[in-house]
Amino acid sequence: MHEKIAMMTGEIIDNRCTAPGHFLMTLRLASAFETPAPGQFVMIREAGRSDPLLARPISVFDFHRYGDHCVLEILYRVAGRGTSLFSGMRSGDEATVLGPLGRGFTLPAGIGRALFVAGGVGVAPLHFLVHSGLLTAGAQRPVETIFYLGARSRDLLTGVERLDGFCDLRMCTDDGSRGHRGPVTDLLKRDIDDYDPSQTAIFACGPKPMIRTLACLLENTLIPCQVSLEERMACGIGACLGCAIAIGGPGRKTEYRRVCEDGPVFDLREILPTTPIDTQENRK
Amino acid sequence: MIAKCDKIGVDFPDLAVTIGNLVLKNPVMTASGTFGYGEEYAPFVDLNRLGAVVVKGLSLEPRSGNPPPRIMETPSGMLNAVGLQNIGVRAFIGEKLPFLRQFDTALIANIFGETIDEYRRMAEILDGAKGVHAIEVNISCPNVKKGGIAFGARSESAAEVTRGVRGETGLPLIVKLTPNVTDIAEIALAVEAAGADAVSLINTLTGMSVDIEKRRPHLANVTGGLSGPAIRPVALRMVWQAVRAVKIPVVGIGGIMTASDALEFFITGATAIQVGTANFVNPASMLNILDGIEEYLNRHNMANIAELIGSLNTDT
Repeated sequence: MHEKIAMMTGEIIDNRCTAPGHFLMTLRLASAFETPAPGQFVMIREAGRSDPLLARPISVFDFHRYGDHCVLEILYRVAGRGTSLFSGMRSGDEATVLGPLGRGFTLPAGIGRALFVAGGVGVAPLHFLVHSGLLTAGAQRPVETIFYLGARSRDLLTGVERLDGFCDLRMCTDDGSRGHRGPVTDLLKRDIDDYDPSQTAIFACGPKPMIRTLACLLENTLIPCQVSLEERMACGIGACLGCAIAIGGPGRKTEYRRVCEDGPVFDLREILPTTPIDTQENRK
Repeated sequence: MIAKCDKIGVDFPDLAVTIGNLVLKNPVMTASGTFGYGEEYAPFVDLNRLGAVVVKGLSLEPRSGNPPPRIMETPSGMLNAVGLQNIGVRAFIGEKLPFLRQFDTALIANIFGETIDEYRRMAEILDGAKGVHAIEVNISCPNVKKGGIAFGARSESAAEVTRGVRGETGLPLIVKLTPNVTDIAEIALAVEAAGADAVSLINTLTGMSVDIEKRRPHLANVTGGLSGPAIRPVALRMVWQAVRAVKIPVVGIGGIMTASDALEFFITGATAIQVGTANFVNPASMLNILDGIEEYLNRHNMANIAELIGSLNTDT
């Protein structure tokens, strides 16, 4: 039976702050590392460190293959102790990486328009989709690619410089310091009626309130939407059942899906019926 | 006996151990609930190398499990309150067992019931299932409202479940005990007398964690089971107590991350060990543990792991 290399140690080439609280880590890995699909993630931890105990799931921001090695980039926001320790790592330090994991985005063949909707660090998997997914799509590449990107303020709009020129960028900030003032879903709402559902596909990643608003916004349209979700995970490979999200809805028995293995990319309408994606945040 | 020899000049020690009438080729098993149904790990681990695969806890009917959040990392450990989400014993036999049967490893079905009758019915069903080598009886899950720990917390009910299952199957029975009791030896003795072929311990310690900003529990279930290296000393102490109390084999579980952790349990008297949370951290943990055990036995000129088991010297 084909056995994957369970874990791989990579060397950090660069780990730089791209926006307050946001870091882009670049890792050099052996060529045996499998090429990730857009939307996939890795479980990563500092090599040799047993505390914190668990690795952290982080989306692939970019990936390149060279002669004798490959380079993985991850964009992460410092959200707790694990990512805070990541931010202190320096080039030359080593990290163990398990992956690529999960079910990524599917770019439907022959669509005319791809819309990307990202909030904050949610830009990461969509950046990889723009760069890898669209490039490999070749002739099937959507004619029009529009990237709706939102953040709290101008300085938190991260990843912009690496998207500029690759798609039609439409930015917004909560405080109006750059682009439209308001949530990213506002911008999409303004345009949505102009898009032919049979020619359009949406790819989204961002904070849960953004996903919920997006779900409401798309309720009366037929535009397909794939969304990448985030949850706490222990294993990343479908065994611990810790990253469960509820699907179901009124009149249906609650069922759970694993974000790591059944996702992290889901059809928004599959997870939509329960509307509040059942997490701590919306039970505040 | 030389179990295998694939490096010139290095004889591998005999790691085989016996539980009831089941011979395991080595004493390293997966801990139930940390290894799915085996298929999740198959891309990363050669399952043929494992002594046994203990599958995710099964119930008579499918269970959807607890609402999220279900896990929280804690110092050197983690809390979980998954709530025994599983596909049910019949779907396990129909959908998961055929895959597992192709591997040269013992398959142990872990069962959980809300009533003694449910335990009995599952034992009856599994008794006839081709490819199931033993049953681990979970009387120790802290995350379900009915059954589980309610049976495992008292000697009488622990024995009653064991007797019920024993009456339905000739398969080796391992009864998995909870550490959330006053006297583990008393419970171990009770299930031994009721017909258990082995006891496995410990299941998770009941724990809790609070988000101070939201003033909410980190887990939707409020409490959960603590696992990982944080609980290892407690597990080892309880294995020590159980080993001194019963004559049947004791399977040690609790925060085993490395070979040296596992060796502590063997020296203390565990016949076999289960690896749980370590699988989450590194899917290949069990293989590293196996390699480390072999290396240790070779270094100490032991031809058989039996020489190591229970060799603890407590002389002062």
